[in-house]
Amino acid sequence: MEILAFVSFAVLVVAWLVAPSRGNVAVVSHAEDRKAA
Amino acid sequence: MPNNISAGDTAWLLASAALVMLMTPALGFFYGGLVRRKNVLATIMHSFFILCLISVQWVLWGYTLAFGPDHGGIIGGLDWLALRGVGQDPGPYAPTVPHEAYMVFQMMFAVITPALITGAFAERKRFKAFVVFTLLWATFVYDPVAHWVWGGGWLGQLGALDFAGGTVVHITSGVSALVAALVLGRRVGYGRDALEPHDATMTVLGASLLWFGWFGFNAGSAITAGGLAANAFVVTNTAAAMAALTWMTVSWLHKGAPSVLGAAAGAVAGLVAITPASGYVDVSASILIGLGAGVFCYTAIQLTKRLKVDDALDVFGVHGIGGAWGALATGIFATVAINSGAKDGLVYGNPGQLGIQAIAVAASIIYSAVMTFVILKLIDVFVGLRVPENEEVLGLDASQHREAAYQI
Repeated sequence: MEILAFVSFAVLVVAWLVAPSRGNVAVVSHAEDRKAA
Repeated sequence: MPNNISAGDTAWLLASAALVMLMTPALGFFYGGLVRRKNVLATIMHSFFILCLISVQWVLWGYTLAFGPDHGGIIGGLDWLALRGVGQDPGPYAPTVPHEAYMVFQMMFAVITPALITGAFAERKRFKAFVVFTLLWATFVYDPVAHWVWGGGWLGQLGALDFAGGTVVHITSGVSALVAALVLGRRVGYGRDALEPHDATMTVLGASLLWFGWFGFNAGSAITAGGLAANAFVVTNTAAAMAALTWMTVSWLHKGAPSVLGAAAGAVAGLVAITPASGYVDVSASILIGLGAGVFCYTAIQLTKRLKVDDALDVFGVHGIGGAWGALATGIFATVAINSGAKDGLVYGNPGQLGIQAIAVAASIIYSAVMTFVILKLIDVFVGLRVPENEEVLGLDASQHREAAYQI
């Protein structure tokens, strides 16, 4: 059971590495537009 | 009898009762942040009012129905009506603490359980209907099920393991929430308007305070201030953390961003799932229980939304599914190495325990679903469950309480 516990935590860590890391482009662009204005 | 009282046990149990008391207002903040600003006071009031209402109900008749001398495995007798005979000497359930201390610790469980349901009917239930529902539900659902499991009733006699309330608290409230959501129907604007949380910071604060109070809920359920309480404390924290990480990760992969509200909801789901198991499992099992809570509860909520059931604050997904998973997981991972007074589970060579846990889960689901449906229908006939549509659009803070949460 200890092995399963380690494996499940490792799966999460790997998921964080492969998860999408781009921000919400629409929101970022909108903020930049407002800043420019 | 008074000579058997342990100062350490009594101090820990009273402190735990205070910790669990804090969970109900914390739940008010957790739910309050998730509703629109026109309903935040009404939502917080649900929890705060229940704290007051059930505190009185419990001392008058709730405690004796749940924990009074057993009648046929179904209900407690009226011997302790208005706490007659419940005093400073130890009672039958805890030999090292005053009976009053045990009673008040159990009171806080009776308080928070109906408060959990309020998330399902948020933003549309008439206050008067909520008051009547709470009183009837506590008397006819919570008190009997608490007796079945903890008060010497038939599920306890059968050997069902529920350390701190997976069946008694979370399955009953979660299933009742689903029934309430179905009976009340969807909120005005559901599926058309954005029914967004008005203050995510309030929700995260509420979740954090719930986590803090949950140490009393689970570690306090050891009733003694010793190793079993320490184990319950550790596995509670571990499962909450693991479920928060899991929920956040699943939502990140599913929706493209690591949700803050998702992490908060995940922590609560982990706390729910470890509740029945916390006095019976080791830390490795708590990691797996937290992992399962994050995956199962998140999936259940997506399914509920797909079916367009307006369980406004996801009570069924978190408490119903989390409680059922925790109760079954207890039958899988329980070990006498942690609690010599319990039994081994499936992975330690006793598959029968999983069957007993399944019976306890099924009984809690069926009984609470049927009784909640009957209570709601009766209230609808005599009082009316929902506010009129114009009052719902105006908001419950103004229509039900004539107050506003914010002046800014």
